Amino acid sequence: MYKIADFAKEINRCIQCNFCLQNCPVYLEDAVESSVARGRLNLIQALLVEKTLVATERAGELLNRCLLCTNCVQGCPSGIPVDDIVITARAELHKEYGFSLGMRFLLKQVVNRSTMTNLGGWAVSIAKRLNLAPDAIPHLVSKPFEQRYLTKIAAKGEVRGRVAYFIGCATNYLYPETGEAVVKVLTECGYEVIIPEDQHCCGIPALAHGEMEAAQDVVRWNAARFADLEVDAVITDCTSCGYMLKVKAAKTLPTDDPYQGKVEAVAKKVVEITEFINREGILSNLRDRIGDINGKMGEAGAASANVRSEIATAAEARQELAATGDSGASLKVTYHVPCHRAWSPNLVQAPRQLVPNLPDVQLVEMKEPQKCCGAGGSFFVDHESIASSIRGHKLEDILSTEADAVMTQCPACRYYLSQGLQEKVQVVHPVELLAQRITTR
Amino acid sequence: MSGLVRDLEGLLEARRVFAQQEDLLAYTNDATHRRVFPEAVVQPLTTSEVGKVLEYANRKRIPVVPRGAGTGLSGGATPVPGSLVLDMKRMRQILEVDQRNLTATLECGVVTQEFHKAVERLGLFYPPDPQSMSVCTIGGNVATRAGGPRGVKYGTTKDYVLGIEAVLPDGEVIHYGGKSVKMSSGYDLARLFTGSEGTLGVITKVTMKLLTLPPYRQSMVAVFGELDAAAETVSAIIAAGAVPSGLELLTKSSIETLEAFIPLGLPKDAEAFLLIELDGHEGKVHEDAGRIIAICEAHGVRETKIAQSAAEAERMWFARRALFPATARLAPNVLIEDATVNRTEVPTMVREIKAIAERLQITIGVSGHVGDGNLHPGILTDKSNPELMQRAEAAMGEIAKKALELGGTLSGEHGIGTLKAPYLEWEFGREGVQLMRRIKAAFDPNGIMNPGKIGAEWGGANV
Ligand SMILES: Cc1cc2nc3c(=O)[nH]c(=O)nc-3n(C[C@H](O)[C@H](O)[C@H](O)COP(=O)(O)OP(=O)(O)OC[C@H]3O[C@@H](n4cnc5c(N)ncnc54)[C@H](O)[C@@H]3O)c2cc1C
Ligand code: SF4
Ligand code: SF4
Repeated sequence: MYKIADFAKEINRCIQCNFCLQNCPVYLEDAVESSVARGRLNLIQALLVEKTLVATERAGELLNRCLLCTNCVQGCPSGIPVDDIVITARAELHKEYGFSLGMRFLLKQVVNRSTMTNLGGWAVSIAKRLNLAPDAIPHLVSKPFEQRYLTKIAAKGEVRGRVAYFIGCATNYLYPETGEAVVKVLTECGYEVIIPEDQHCCGIPALAHGEMEAAQDVVRWNAARFADLEVDAVITDCTSCGYMLKVKAAKTLPTDDPYQGKVEAVAKKVVEITEFINREGILSNLRDRIGDINGKMGEAGAASANVRSEIATAAEARQELAATGDSGASLKVTYHVPCHRAWSPNLVQAPRQLVPNLPDVQLVEMKEPQKCCGAGGSFFVDHESIASSIRGHKLEDILSTEADAVMTQCPACRYYLSQGLQEKVQVVHPVELLAQRITTR
Repeated sequence: MSGLVRDLEGLLEARRVFAQQEDLLAYTNDATHRRVFPEAVVQPLTTSEVGKVLEYANRKRIPVVPRGAGTGLSGGATPVPGSLVLDMKRMRQILEVDQRNLTATLECGVVTQEFHKAVERLGLFYPPDPQSMSVCTIGGNVATRAGGPRGVKYGTTKDYVLGIEAVLPDGEVIHYGGKSVKMSSGYDLARLFTGSEGTLGVITKVTMKLLTLPPYRQSMVAVFGELDAAAETVSAIIAAGAVPSGLELLTKSSIETLEAFIPLGLPKDAEAFLLIELDGHEGKVHEDAGRIIAICEAHGVRETKIAQSAAEAERMWFARRALFPATARLAPNVLIEDATVNRTEVPTMVREIKAIAERLQITIGVSGHVGDGNLHPGILTDKSNPELMQRAEAAMGEIAKKALELGGTLSGEHGIGTLKAPYLEWEFGREGVQLMRRIKAAFDPNGIMNPGKIGAEWGGANV
């Protein structure tokens, strides 16, 4: 469980090498050593383990000013779970000092989907309470993904297997087209898809905001819905949900919690969708049904039809331009690698390996595909100015590729990048690029 | 010290002055364990800002501790009570890479690896490769004479400094040297600042010598059943004149830790490993590789493994860079020794370290840049256990003494800092230390620059 006492040893293993200076997106902007993993760990140790410092506002600020992006963890030779430790410290500081964290109200509402009734009103009321700039608030779809599909969708053609689909909040409320693409690809490839009813948020936003109990509740709730299903895999389209289900869920509960067994059973089966496609080699099932759509973004749900028509126009315009050349129209995509990537061995390569299968799509790498975009879940809402400076470098990198679209498997990155890119470049989930090119049986 | 912050904020932007305890805490140490709170941290952007801050501190007799990335392993960047830390990392422009003269001029806060990338893009080469290069700064490298695996063939930072811009404690700026590769005028002030560990002034800019990038590289690992045999092989390789561009020794305990972190598929029951890199023209590299393999075989090597791709080679070296941190998984604290001996004495030194470990009942993992005689024994300890800590420090002292007895030096590349300051006289005698102290006083009459470093009693009230 996330208790600082359990992490005291881990903090001690920090050898103070400062290697984390290299990759911390916040440090790279703030340039002060208190803003890097080592600084945070030493601060947490002083505040909560050795109790040699008393927390002031600045302590709260330094600990909240962490994206939980795990870039430090990935480069830390001692493998210190910095994000877990920051999460724990937030929860304990919150208990001990009552620090208020910007998004608390929102979380209470979001984690338990059954309390969400009037979505439009919900978004507006959060905006009012948090006094936020309007563009920080995502525009939610009127009909969430979960209300569009049956709980069991049959495989098409020869049956290859059966999988469960974990619907993240972003797919549910913001990007149902990702969910539609996942279902399309899986069923067309011969998988029966089970979508358990009443799924809740994975819990990672609650953890990030120090809402330990809320996180525990949803972890247990979801584990109960997925653990006993007879499925080959539990699919997620979101790298942060995957990280939560695979790694963090077990840590969220006490070690002797009766739900640990169920949590573990789910964790074993969690796979990110593009990684699953690659791992199972299921594209071979589709070989002659993946088509060229002339570099367009194809059909999908009604959710963001207007956005899509803009894309189509842009693509058509490019197509006209390209018509003078000898090659057919193609969609140039670049790949933004989500920070929550280390939990799964190949999710960084999987989307790249998907592209050669799409006849009219071409991959152009940006200079630093792995560099953080600044979203950090909902970090950008509370820390607008630093998040947008972090994003600034990313946008520059993306624009310099002259790509038509960016693909990424993280909906927070997708949202935040698309706000920054406006209409210039579209942001999609790689599974959508694939789904758009599959002719249905 | 009221008013300090207000004064500093009059000298540079307020957002580059830090005095809250949470921020200061992050600056209480380098990569060593002792922690001391400074009074404030400032981040200058220009030489003139450094000058203003030093002039002020000198007038007020406030100790100043220059700091790069704080990765030092000798306590050099650890503050002293009441001090002002000068965080130099914001001065990070590469001002010029001169392809015709093969030089580069850069600010002290440039990260070493960024500098590598910048010159390598142009087909040029800056060899010094401290294993902390992903974060450490050129200023820190110059101030400590940092080295790395390539030292065996290419020397260390000190061999590349052509010119220097530095600010003296009274705020005066001096320039010495430049792009000329030879210079025979006046005292070599560039050399004097090189390795000065922040005790003479603040290095703000340096001009470094560059080479052209070797066209071809190859890495290999040789696995030995016995530590002695591996150490003997090192001397034999050097004697045969096949100069590798990297020749590192790893021992059993280090491999066990490394394998847990980055599996290289090395046998866990072997006692010692040599990690070797060769560079130059392809034909010559292959020829030397053949000679080295023959030497390994003559010394009873168990197996040799050549990296099949650049990626595999990078993995081997990445693992080597992770060694010290990986060792830290074994104990709460690790003291990294840096004693260096003549290359022919490596086998003796390795045996002596084993004996010291046994005598003091303490675990010491031996690894290091053996190709240039620079060993990095890692002494496992725990700062919360005073008795063990005492034995660890005793081991450090004994290793240092032994290295000196064998004609070596206290430090090959990490510097003296505070950790080795007590031993300075062993190496230079009273006269030598007195002269160094007079040099220090000539630069820094008020003793504000990084007091207590190199000489335990230098600076502060003692000058
Ligand atoms: C994991 C690890 C591996 C390492 N491997 C190596 C290695 O292979 N080889 C090696 O040589 N070292 C190694 N080191 C030690 C360390 O990285 C080097 O000593 C490095 O040169 C320190 O650079 P820094 O920027 O971190 O300087 P700091 O640690 O911040 O400072 C070091 C000293 O230089 C002084 N200083 C810094 N900047 C200036 C300036 N602008 N003007 C005047 N004085 C200044 C400081 O006061 C201090 O005395 C390693 C350290 C770690 C943690
Ligand atoms: S990289 Fe890891 S061990 Fe090194 S200072 Fe950062 S957190 Fe500590
Ligand atoms: S999780 Fe990200 S933001 Fe937080 S300390 Fe690590 S690298 Fe920095």
